[in-house]
Amino acid sequence: MIQTTSTKIADFSLWAKMRKRRAAFSFSLELTARCNNDCRHCFVNLAANDRSARSGELTLQEISDIADQALAIGALWVHLSGGEPLLREDFSEIYLLLKRKGLLVSLFTNATLIRNEHIELLKKYPPTNIEVTVYGVTEETYERVTGRRGSFAAFMNGMNLLLESGIPVRLKAMAIRTNFRELPEIAKFCRAHTKDFFRFDPQLIFRTDGDERRNELIKYERLTPEEFVDLERADDERISYMLRNCDALIGTESVHGCNDHLFRCAVGNGTFTVSHDGKFLLCSSLRVPGMVYDLRQGTLAEAWNEFAPKVQNMRSHRPEFLESCRSCDLINLCMWCPAHAYLESGELDKPIEYFCQVAHARADAIQGGVNLKQTSMLKE
Amino acid sequence: MELTLDFICAPSEDVVARVIEDELIIVPLAAGIGDMDSELYSLNETGKAIWLHLDGKKSLRSIAEEMAEEFDSALSLIETDVLGLVGELEKRKMVVIK
Repeated sequence: MIQTTSTKIADFSLWAKMRKRRAAFSFSLELTARCNNDCRHCFVNLAANDRSARSGELTLQEISDIADQALAIGALWVHLSGGEPLLREDFSEIYLLLKRKGLLVSLFTNATLIRNEHIELLKKYPPTNIEVTVYGVTEETYERVTGRRGSFAAFMNGMNLLLESGIPVRLKAMAIRTNFRELPEIAKFCRAHTKDFFRFDPQLIFRTDGDERRNELIKYERLTPEEFVDLERADDERISYMLRNCDALIGTESVHGCNDHLFRCAVGNGTFTVSHDGKFLLCSSLRVPGMVYDLRQGTLAEAWNEFAPKVQNMRSHRPEFLESCRSCDLINLCMWCPAHAYLESGELDKPIEYFCQVAHARADAIQGGVNLKQTSMLKE
Repeated sequence: MELTLDFICAPSEDVVARVIEDELIIVPLAAGIGDMDSELYSLNETGKAIWLHLDGKKSLRSIAEEMAEEFDSALSLIETDVLGLVGELEKRKMVVIK
């Protein structure tokens, strides 16, 4: 009479029902764009004392209203992110409010602001999980990435508080030029502390605010395609997964089939993002004017049911796009998507050379250069 | 203490129940509610009907009688179901005895 599940919600009969229709299963809620760190690779962080960002943040009442609307369209799960969510002075109230509404709550944090009061709250009302990014395992590397003196000690303190409390924590890493040499130690550190989960991400995207100086820094921090692939090859778990799923990763037809749809991904299906200032986003990277919906001016149901399908159905007639990214067999190995292309170039349907190089290097690594229908950008 | 049909029970304040896609989903809020590794609970149709009757006012016997009439089923079978489910939920601290 009772069916239970842990985190394997996909095993739940409800999941099958929700997938049949375009249900909003989960959403990300960016509590703030501000961060107490100033990471070199970050695509969103604003200064912790940025008045303009702070004044635009959703209030507790607005968050409560949006959560109610999310529940009404079926949401089960909310991921709290930022910026750094714990910069919000009312973080504990927000967290408890969302829990009391019956949402499963995950938290993405740098852990540097974790205090005993947070531990008490999280122990009493456990999150589904907490994901903490490890930027380095030495003070020197960590603080070169975060740009903030004292951040390593704060991180270690917060992380130890979490781990000692038994709260479920997942550790992950960004793989960037500044911590590249330390990555093996970072991976070892993460795996030693969280047995069932570790992942690294070498995919750096450009700033959502278009800050040119910061974008140059992000470009500098990007690994070369060769480094990118070497890193994946060195990770047994990751390369095994890629080899096992080679057929699904390469040559798979996209959601919309091979035509002139701009989006080949499942954007706007199952999940959405709410930005710190109340904008509905189909995904966290898609912040193109005209493709975001202001929840302060309308409802989430309108955004999900009417606005999102219009964006999903957008087309491109640009030959350069239709002949390359639109029909490329390597799309599932590629960082390219309209959102990332826009951040990179100001255009939604423009192929991006770096993404292309990485996708080809990854394909070569897992298939040894099998003759595929690939994008024109790298063709001889 | 053995659960009997004379008991009056109510959903714990440490869980939230929601109906999504016609399914009743129970989400534990606090630590120590439910199983250690379970996040969500779902009840089948009979379980859902029993849960929705748990109002902290009616005895389990009254609930079984109402349901036997509602579903046109044998009272003894419904009583067994009610005691079985509420017993399971009580063990998991998802219902409280009033």
